[in-house]
Order: sequence, then structure tokens, then C-alpha cells
Amino acid sequence: MGIFLCDCGGSLKNIDFPKISGDLEKLEDVAFIDISHSLCLEEGEKAITSRILSENINRVVIAACSAELREHKFVRLLEELRFNPSLLSLANIREQCSWTCEGDVTEKATELIRMAIGKARLLQPVERKNVPVNREVLVLGGGFAGMKSALELSRLGIRTTIVERKSTLGGKLKEVEGFYGLETSLKQMLDSMITAIEKDNNIEVLTSAEVTRVRGEVGDFDITIGGGRREFSLSFGAIIFATGYRTEILPQDFELKPGGNIISQLDLVEMLRAPEKLKRRPETIGFVLDVCDENSRLPTLSSLNNVLAVREKLGSEVYVFCKNLKVDSEGAEELYREARNRGVVFLKFDEPPQIYREDGRVTIKAKDVLLGEEVVLLCDLLVAEERALPPEGTKGLSSMLNIGTDSQGFYQDENVHLYPAASARKGVLFVGGCRGNLDLGRALTDIASAVMGSYSLLALGEAVVEVEKVRVDPEKCRACLTCIRACPHGAIQLLRVNTEKEVAQISDLACDGCGVCAAVCPAKAINFEGYSDEQILAEVETIGG
Amino acid sequence: MNKSIAVIGGGASGITSALELANSGFRVYLIEREAAIGGQAASFCCKATDICTKCSVCLIPEKLNEVAVHPKISVLTDSTVAGLSGKAGDFEVEVLRKPQYIALERCVACGMCAGVCPTEPKASRSPSPDAVPYCYVIDETRCLRLRGEKCNLCQGTCPTNAIDFDREPERKELSVSAIIVATGFEVFNAREIGSLGYGRYPNILTGLDLERIFKDQGSLKLPSNGKEARRIAFIQCVGSRNEGHGYCSQVCCKYAMRFARLIKYQNPDTQVTIFYIDLQTAGKGFAEFYDECRGVIRFIRGVPVEILETSGELEVRFENISEGKVERETFDLVTLSVGITPRKDSWSLARVLGINLGDHGFFDTKEPFNSIETNVEGIFLAGTCQGPKDIPDSIAHGVAAAEGAMGVLEKCK
Repeated sequence: MGIFLCDCGGSLKNIDFPKISGDLEKLEDVAFIDISHSLCLEEGEKAITSRILSENINRVVIAACSAELREHKFVRLLEELRFNPSLLSLANIREQCSWTCEGDVTEKATELIRMAIGKARLLQPVERKNVPVNREVLVLGGGFAGMKSALELSRLGIRTTIVERKSTLGGKLKEVEGFYGLETSLKQMLDSMITAIEKDNNIEVLTSAEVTRVRGEVGDFDITIGGGRREFSLSFGAIIFATGYRTEILPQDFELKPGGNIISQLDLVEMLRAPEKLKRRPETIGFVLDVCDENSRLPTLSSLNNVLAVREKLGSEVYVFCKNLKVDSEGAEELYREARNRGVVFLKFDEPPQIYREDGRVTIKAKDVLLGEEVVLLCDLLVAEERALPPEGTKGLSSMLNIGTDSQGFYQDENVHLYPAASARKGVLFVGGCRGNLDLGRALTDIASAVMGSYSLLALGEAVVEVEKVRVDPEKCRACLTCIRACPHGAIQLLRVNTEKEVAQISDLACDGCGVCAAVCPAKAINFEGYSDEQILAEVETIGG
Repeated sequence: MNKSIAVIGGGASGITSALELANSGFRVYLIEREAAIGGQAASFCCKATDICTKCSVCLIPEKLNEVAVHPKISVLTDSTVAGLSGKAGDFEVEVLRKPQYIALERCVACGMCAGVCPTEPKASRSPSPDAVPYCYVIDETRCLRLRGEKCNLCQGTCPTNAIDFDREPERKELSVSAIIVATGFEVFNAREIGSLGYGRYPNILTGLDLERIFKDQGSLKLPSNGKEARRIAFIQCVGSRNEGHGYCSQVCCKYAMRFARLIKYQNPDTQVTIFYIDLQTAGKGFAEFYDECRGVIRFIRGVPVEILETSGELEVRFENISEGKVERETFDLVTLSVGITPRKDSWSLARVLGINLGDHGFFDTKEPFNSIETNVEGIFLAGTCQGPKDIPDSIAHGVAAAEGAMGVLEKCK
């Protein structure tokens, strides 16, 4: 092996480099030891290049600064020299040695380098290669988020198939008349999207269909789709979940049933669409928010839009009961101000209000914190709170794919490293309502993220993988399934190697290199190259040797 | 065909846009005004207790390291955009770069220049211990040589000959297909509300001060005497939801609750109170966090109007709305949860690029429900320069802007 030492421009004055060189020269398998002033600069790279090209070595040890700062540079240089960078071992003698310790640290530096040498001896080459990936994407759900995702992917030249449970596209948004103050209504927007999808050759639509089975991994998902009596399989490179959300109107907390003068936002919108059909104009309308769900961005936004529409089209008196008005989305504070300017009264409670029907009207009783007194409102209509719930089938699909859900049961773990749209499984993405992200502005950024995520995975039709960086030894594997259960990335499957034995096999493409499987394997059958037991022990055992 | 993109601003959303585009095979010029990339979020602290509270600050250094080593991203630090010509698919961006007295490609960050620098504090320094790029810079306002005196110590000692005082400002022309503006925000200047006493009393801090204190020291002590703070108050909506700033800053309730939880975790005896108008507890998993906070933190509806210091204690006068009374209470330390405001220099960049500013002074988009496209085709917005966002939302917005810009690049193919 070849050893390069760097004294960082001569600044590592508490290390005696000639002494280290003299010590290590005695090792049998060391071909040469070079001392440089600046391995990371052009002249340093030239020195490494000429040495590696002229000497016949199969391992490289570099003792310099933090791997975080420079490792990529050395790796790239070795790649250019066609020297497998997995045979490089680094020792940090600057940040973790010279800078952190007082006085002469030659001895510590020597030990650090010896550790790197000990590891280098056992390093095995890991090859990189390109594997083909399927460029088509499955979009689950034909609502706004699903359709928008498909259209955006098509714009970038990626083919998609939309699978929609219902018989038509449009989803929930189809049922909502425009938000207040918009020139084009949401319905018009939706209609133009449906037309665009029908014309788009990159998008195929399967309605009245459902996914019944998912197999395989990123680049090659094998999806079984059922609908009616037919069932068939298709292959996709990635899956975007856009299955939306369900709502529960006037949740049971009130022990009241919706209907009559207790209506949903949707019923209200129907009324606003054709106010002339109303037998009697409602004099007073009450809205209630935040009673059973404080994650109420969308209900707040739709209420704010609808109260303004009510003031304009019906002229009714409007009272909004809420706990904390959710104004942390774009434009919400403006709508709130506008509503107050138009005479809408906002009442804030700490304790949930009491609601009951009385003489054909609805009574809302709440202690308003601003007045400090109990307010009793008799209203002709109550627009009830709607709680968002995960879409049907979330549990089934998430367990089929082995992906987590959040505390409310929506898709996607509460893990900031996955936000906005990713899951622990590569190539499985979530957008909009099904991950609990309910306001339109944020759903749009989800969609863009999912589109970018699948584009960068699949656009080239192939992906670079490290071949068997994490490898199962078929002799030792007892097929106990421990690794399969532990793998957060769904990268391990059982495979029959010959007729008598099944062993775990790790997909190079789906593997994220987290090492969990190697840690849990009771038979020690899984080897993570660069971090194997032997390599780590070799490092440790060198100390003091 | 030109497959390059310019990203203006190297904060959370800018670096996200740059990485997304570079990973999709495009060349990215990341133009950063400061000497290091990372923006404001890079100076924020982790707010974990015994568990992660999902503040997302840790995402920034990860991304910065990725940017630093990405072969498709050219980082131009100390640089500003001075001019623009052309149209979508064929822009010419004029970039002005401050003189690089220490050449980035020659500096090995050995620190020998700072070792010999005779000024105190040193004129030659690293922007921060985790700065990206990790390289020394010379502060023109401190350097004896640049202020006209004779001093040559650092130049003489630099082992890699990286220092040259004759370097001039550089002008660069970049040919790009699209531009992403990600210039970020300014924190509301709490001095503007004189009655809250910020800048006058040492124990009144802002949320931003708290970020720095926890990042550097890991815990909070009274700035006046270094003792434990026993009674701490957070005041929400300072510079948000008022006449000058008619919007919610979207981040303050979350950071205040996370800090409050962290302080309670470190010192369970400390009494923490949060004064608020409406608590913004929407978002994935946040309602549960709020429930947890309610058990240990006192929430009072009503925002104080005046803070006075008497014999070392801060007397806060507030209207306790729930009780319907005006009350006074003393605290050891008060944190003002300052909000997000547009950068004051936004208008000059808007003029150079020809893009519009909206009502609140953030950059404007061409239509509602489209938060990335500006009135100029090929110029996109990312992050808080478009409006308040927290870190996850800024990152998501950065991806969205990249996706928008991809459309222009695909068209050019």
C-alpha cells in the first residue's frame, strides 16, 4: 500500500512527520510514504497521481484533514486514475488530532494512521455499475394532486398511469365551488386539467380501479391492479400516492347528526352557487372550528373564503367560533382582516362550545374569551366542523409497502428527513391530503417535490449502484426474516438460490446503506463493506500495537 | 442549448433548488452575497430535548456538504447580481464579486494567517467553524493592509501562497436558461417597537438571539449576570399580524414552543409563559407537540404592550384576555418572537431582474395558487423571499422552484 501524509502547509507543528514516516516504513506491506504540504491543492493531486501511476499498489492510506472536507476530492481523483476508491482509507490528523490536543501529538497521529492501515489491509473493492430502471410512474388517485403530478411529469417527458378508484377524475375538489376572489373557479381549473389529461399521450387513466398488490422495488415495482372482474399486473419505476383524504362532518363529539340546519361546507357552497333557489334567506349563520381537530388549516381557509362569499351573496350575519384561528398559510391573515371589515364576528373559546337544536334553529353556547362572558347564538344554519381523516385503504397499503404513518394515521412517518414528499422506501412518494397536508399552496409544493423526486430517480432510464456493498453470505443466512423486518427501506427479499434453500437478498438500488440489517442479523451473515466486524476490529486492535 | 441555471441566494431553499437541478444533470451557479453559504438557517440551533422536536435545522448542514462537493454546482460567494439581459432560455446574468484576497482554491484552512494577524479581533478569519466553503476570508474593515497601513504578515506566512492584496473585484457574465431567486428574509427589528424594551434592557432577547445562544452555548443564562433564569416569557407576533406587517410569519409559534420545551427540559424548575394571539399548531405532528407543551408551559392569550425594568426584573404589562383584566407580572427574561420580513434590498434586485414586489414587500408571483412563477418568464421564486415559510416549507418550495425551472430547460432541449 501507499501512504500519503499531509502537514497542511506546515501548520501541523505538533506532529513530527519524519518520525512517523520512519516508524511506518518498517511495516512490510507499505510500499512508500510521501509527506506533502497540501494534498488537497493542485500540486498535491499531481504528486498523488504520479505516485499511483508509477507504483504498483493496491491500497491507499491518506492522513490529512477531516474526511468531510476532502474525502470527495480524493475519491474523485482516484476514480479518474481508475483506482477503486473503496480501497482508500483516511486518517484525520488535523481536526481530530493536531488541532484538538495540546503539545506533541506525534504518537496519537501515528496510532490514527496505524488504524487506517489496519483497516486498509482488509478493504475489498466495491464496483459501481449502471442498472436499468423503468421510466414509468404510477399515480394513485385522480384528484387534483394526482392529475397535477401526472401533468407535470408529462411536461418533463415521463409517462404515467393514473389509477382512480372512482369512475371519473376530479376527486374532492370537484365538489367545491371556487374559492372567494379567484378569477377562475376551482371547478374550471379542474375541468381544464381533465381535458389536458385526455389529450396527453404520456398519461393513461384507469378509472374504477384499485391497486391490490405491490411487489418489487424502486425502478421495478410490480403492481397488480384490480377493478371490476379484471385483474392485471403492470410495472413501474416509482409510485406517487395522491389518494387524498376523507372528511367526517360534525364528528360525534357533539352527539348531533348533520342534516337540516346543520350543514357541511360543501352544502353551503351548493347554496351559494344558486342562492335564488333558497326558500328563505338564512338570517344568521354560525361556523365552528377547532373543536375536535386543531390541524385545521384547510377548514380555516375554506371557512374564511365561504364567510366572505356568504356576506356577498346572502348578506347574512356571520359568526365564527374558533379556538386559535389558523392564519399560517399564504393569504389567510388578509382574508381574516377582510372578513372582519365586512362585519363577520369572530368569537374565540378556550372550552369547546355546546351546540344543540332548538325550535328549528341551532343554538351555540360558548364562553368568549374576549368578552369574558357566555355567548348564546341562535342561528338559522350551522356550518359544522369537518375533521380530515386518512383515505380508505391507507392501513392496507402502508403495511403492504412496509411504510410508516403519522400519529393521525396519514401516510408518511413524522421524520423531517423525508419531508416533503418522500418515504423511507425509494421511489414511493406522497402528495397532498393523503399525507395530511391539506392546504392547496403546500399541496402544490408537495406535487413539485414528488415530480422532481421521481424524475431524478428515473429520467435517465438507469441508475448507478454500488454492487453488493451490503451483501448476504448465502452459507450463513438461515432465512430467519429478521433483516427483512428491520429494513426501513424495503430493500431485502427472500430469494430461492437453489431448490432447497431460501436466502435474504439485498437490492443494490433500493438499499440506502443504513447498516441496520448487518447489525441485527443473528447469524452475522450480512457484511457491510468498509464497516465489517473484521475491519473495525482490525482498526481497534492496532491501537497500542 | 444552454443547460445552466443561476440560483441567487444560498440559504435553505437556494441550496435545495441547486441540488435538485444539479442532481438532474444541469449546471448550477449558486450566487451568494456572504462569504459562506447556508443563509440564516445555518446559524440556528438544534432544539431537540431527549427526542427530536422536528425543527429541521439539521437538514441544512447535510445539504451544504452536498453542495460543497457537487461537481455540477459552482458556488460564487461574496457575489451579487448587478445586471440581467436576454430572455427565458437565454439570460445573461452579470455578477459582481468582491475581491478574493484569499483565493478559495488555494486556501487549505490551516489558520496560519489568523495566527500572525496583529489585529484583535483577527482580520483574517473563518466565517464560522462549520462554514461552507471552509476557507478563510479577510475582513476589509479590520485588515491593516487594506486600510492603508504596511502589513504583510499573513501573506508572508501563508504556506500555499493563497493571499494576494492586489486582487480586484471581478465582473462575470453567466449565460443561463433560467433564474431562481432565493434571497431569503430579514428578521423583524424588535427595536422598532420601543415599548418592548429590546436593545435597552439586556434580559430582553429575540428568537434570533436565542438561536445563536443555544447554538454557541447550548443553554440559556441571564445575559445581565450569567445566573439561571427562573421566570421566562415568550411574546408572540412581534412584527407579525400588525398594521405594518399584515401577515402571519408562520414560524414563531413553532420555534417559541420548541424553545420553551427545551428550556423546561433543561431546567424543569423554570417557569415558562407564552403570550399569544392565536397559536398556530397546524402541521404534521404539531398538534401532539402542542398537547405535550400544554402540560408544562403556561399559555396566556394576550400580547403585552409594555415591558419595564425595575431593580433588575422585567415588569410585563399585558391584557389577560381570558381573564378580562390588565395585569402586571415580573419575569427574569423575555424573548420576543420576532417574525419574518422582506429583505430591505429586495426592491433593488426586483429592479435589476424586472420582477414585481407584492403588497407586503415580498417578491410577487404572477397568479394566485402559483407561488413560484414571477411576471418574467424564466425567473422563479424559492423560499422566504416570496413569503414567510419554516425550514421544511422553504425546502419544499426550493424543490418546487427547481421543478418550475426544469420546464424552461426541457423546452430549450
